[in-house]
Order: sequence, then C-alpha cells, then structure tokens
Amino acid sequence: MNAEIYLDNNSFIHRLDPRTKITIFLLTFIAILLFEDPLWMMPVTFFILLQLVISGSIHNLRRIRYILIVLTISSLVLWNLFSKGITPLFWIFKVESFYFSIARTLLMTLMISAGMILISTTRNEELVLGMIRMGMPYRVGFAISTALRLVPTIASSTQTISQAQRSRGLDLDSGSLVERVRKFLPLLVPVFISTIRNTNIFGMALESKGFGAREKRTFYLKLEMKKADYLVLAFAILFVAASITFSIMGYGQIAGLTRF
Amino acid sequence: MKEVISMWKNTRMIILVALSAAIYAAFLIVFKGGIPIIPGITEVRPANVFPPVFSLLFGPAGAWGSAIGNLIGDLFGGTLGIGSIFGFVGNFFLGYIPYKMWGATFGLVNKKDMSQTTNNVKKLVAFEIIALTASAACGIIIAWYLDLASIVPFAFLSITITINNFAAACVLGPILLALLYPRVKRWGLIWTDIMKPEEVSVGVAKNLGSILMIVGSLGGLIVGIMVALGLAGQTFYGFTGEQGQVAVWLSVLPFLVLIVIASFMLSGREQFVEDEE
Repeated sequence: MNAEIYLDNNSFIHRLDPRTKITIFLLTFIAILLFEDPLWMMPVTFFILLQLVISGSIHNLRRIRYILIVLTISSLVLWNLFSKGITPLFWIFKVESFYFSIARTLLMTLMISAGMILISTTRNEELVLGMIRMGMPYRVGFAISTALRLVPTIASSTQTISQAQRSRGLDLDSGSLVERVRKFLPLLVPVFISTIRNTNIFGMALESKGFGAREKRTFYLKLEMKKADYLVLAFAILFVAASITFSIMGYGQIAGLTRF
Repeated sequence: MKEVISMWKNTRMIILVALSAAIYAAFLIVFKGGIPIIPGITEVRPANVFPPVFSLLFGPAGAWGSAIGNLIGDLFGGTLGIGSIFGFVGNFFLGYIPYKMWGATFGLVNKKDMSQTTNNVKKLVAFEIIALTASAACGIIIAWYLDLASIVPFAFLSITITINNFAAACVLGPILLALLYPRVKRWGLIWTDIMKPEEVSVGVAKNLGSILMIVGSLGGLIVGIMVALGLAGQTFYGFTGEQGQVAVWLSVLPFLVLIVIASFMLSGREQFVEDEE
C-alpha cells in the first residue's frame, strides 16, 4: 500500500501557493456550512469536484472509498431519523428530512474532499511553510505537518500488522463490541511501538540540521504569490461573500424541517 | 500550564506531539467508518484510549497530540465543522488532565513511586478516576458549546462523549499503559525524563486542585444534564427539547471555570521524583 497522499502532478491546483490553497480550504468550509438545502450546496460541490478532477486528487478519494460508503449510508439513514419534516415521503420518512440527510451527507463528503485536495496537491514542506507564513509558530506547524504526513504511514502499518496478526489467528470480525475493542490490543501496541521507537533518532536528525536552534528560522523554499493566486483568492472570497449574503437573506434553508 | 508552552522548545517533545497526533488520528479515521452515533459529530471511538495514555507518558505533548490528532481525524473523517473548534479544546483537556492529576490523587499514587504506569491496584484506581474526570471534562466542554450553537442538545451529547471516552480508556487504558510504559521508559521518552522540573508549573494546593477538577468535570456533567432535562426538556438518548437555552449555558459555565482554575492549581512537577533520586 502506498502511504504517500501527495500526488506529484503539475496541475493548476498544484501550482497555486500553499497559502492560497489553505485559504480556499478554510473558505470552502464556510461555504459548505451555510446551507441545509442540498440544491444550494451544488455550486460549492461543483467547484470541489472541478478541483478533484483538475488535480487528480479523485484517485486518493478512491483509497478511502469504504469509509466514504459507510459514512454516506449511515448519514443518509441517521440524519433522516434525527430530523423531522411535514411532507410524507415513505414509511416514517419525510421529504424535508430526506433533503436534509442528503445535505449532511454532502457536507461530510465535501469536507473530506476539500481536505484531500489540500494534502494531495501540497507537499508537506510547502504546507508547513504556508502555515508559518500565515502566522503559525514554526514548531507547531512542523508538528501538524509531520502528523499529517504520518497518518497514512501509520494507517498502512496498522493494515500490515493487522494482516500479520490475522495470519496468526486473530479474529477481529467477531464478538461483541467490547470483545472486538479488546481484540485491537495486539494491534495498538505494535503500531504504537513501531511509531514511537525512532523518536530519539528523529530528534537527533532534526537537531543536527539546526531545528530549534534559533527562534526565527530561514527556509530554502521560497513562496511567491502569483497572479493566478490573487485571481483564485478573489473569486473564492466573492463566492463565499455571495453565499453568506444569500444565507443571511434566508435562502438555502428547508421549509418545514425541524432539526432534532 | 507553563509546560504546555515551554515544551515547544524541546525537539523530542515536538516530535512526540506529532507522533501522538498521528497515531490518534490514524485510529480515529479507521473507526470513522465503524459505528456512527451522530453522523458528522461523533461515532464509537475505541481510539479514545490513547489520550489518557499519551498524557501520562508524554505529558503536555500528549495533550497537544490529542487535540491535533482529533482535528486531523475530523478532517479526514468528514466530521470537521463548527464543533471541531471545541473538539480541539475538549480533546486537549482529555490529554491534559491525566498527567496533571496523576501526582495529586489523594495518595493513590505513592510519592516514592510516581511512575506513570498501572503497576498496582491503587494506581489502577487512580487511572480510572483520572480517565473518568478527563472524559467528563471533554464531554461538557464540547456539549456546552454545541448546545449553545444549537447544533446538538447538551444532555445527549455530554453523556455520549463521556461514556465514549471513558469506555475505551477504562477497558483498554490500564493494560495499554502497563504494556507500553517499560518500553517508553527504556527509550527515555517519558515526559519527566525529557523536560526539566523548572519548565513545569509549580501549582498550588494540588489535592484541592484535583477536587476542583473532579467537581468541575463530573459536577458540570450532572448539573448540566439535570438542567437540560428539567428546564430545556431534553432527553438522555434523544434529540428532543430546546437547545441554546441560557439556563444550560449558565449552569455549566461555573463548572468550566472551575476546570480552568484547577488546571492552574495542578502541577505535575511532583512526578520528577525519580530524577531527583
């Protein structure tokens, strides 16, 4: 299993400055959260899909398709139950709560997609530098980016260890919830140990390269905002401003819906 | 809270933040596709065994690791949203309270053996008390905010998060800690082996701090639920009743203040006893 999420393409999205991509990522969340009617979420859905296709990040979404499928099914069912409507659809389900469940499912998948686009198109070092340039202390930025980079590696080693333990007879798929949780112990310990054991070497490697030697650090990588960055940012800000305006005006809500 | 800031000067502590965040996030993501409780908000989280274990082993690095790991888990699990802000704060406290309370558990952890492992019954009891307190603190912090924002009712969410956090920590935590401690200690990665005592806050009246932390967390949970059930018409396991009620907001707020005050009273410096010997 390839643990690397970054895709080494040269798409328009890849070439954008990491600060632009981080800002778009944050603005996307605002736009997603504004509406509860799935139809009003279509514009932002279109732009995220466009980014997924242009950047090739859609390939990475396929890697987590099982999680996406489970989330989609559970969300469609449960949000129907967690909301009430007035127009009957079938059995206990109402039209309004059905729309709302679609909106919540879209919200989840779009958020995952937005995150996937960011890390599929931005190298780790670019992401850190982008966050630092936006005001984050570089040590914190380093910790976050290292964690982001390690998540797929750890997930991958979890899978490997899981297969190894299964081949020794560990049955993770049967028993009650508590029993299943307990069975994860032979996975938790090796994953933890294999991840933590190299901390000292990692630390020495960093310090030998001057990490933490000075309060302010310099970077080999230079970031530069180009015309395309400003244009994309201007568009994104206008888009979100328009979405906020429509939301304040009361558009994008589902009439007759009672949440919870 | 001094060490929460001062730890960022230490390279190994920074790496431990990253590694604990990555482990926590990876396991959270694995279980995102498991059993959702409220899709987009929370799900059954066996990975919640990690914050108290990270906290006792890595101290403030475990606290930051829990907070950042939860945020990354939200990002890749599709649960990132307004709630993630207080999810960050709640999970920070889930990883912050255990190491701060460990040395102030009314004598359950002996002053001569402050080792952060469950190698005797008293320490096991201390671990469970601490895990329950931290779980409740995390629960009321997140639920208070989400009720205030009229997203999820306090009564349902606070109890769900508390049970969710505590179940994993209660069952797996002591075993995991006992298994991991000897190795982590051998590698010199226990937080008291990395940091210096002077980098850690001194604290005042630590046992009183522990009492205030327990009262703030569990008291906030009980009082908040009672007010939510009584005045806001909410139910334990349902979504009925009104959210964003001032009564719930005001009744839980003093307990949150207590948690913050207790955080400043507790120290963690007493755990450096082995180094001093």
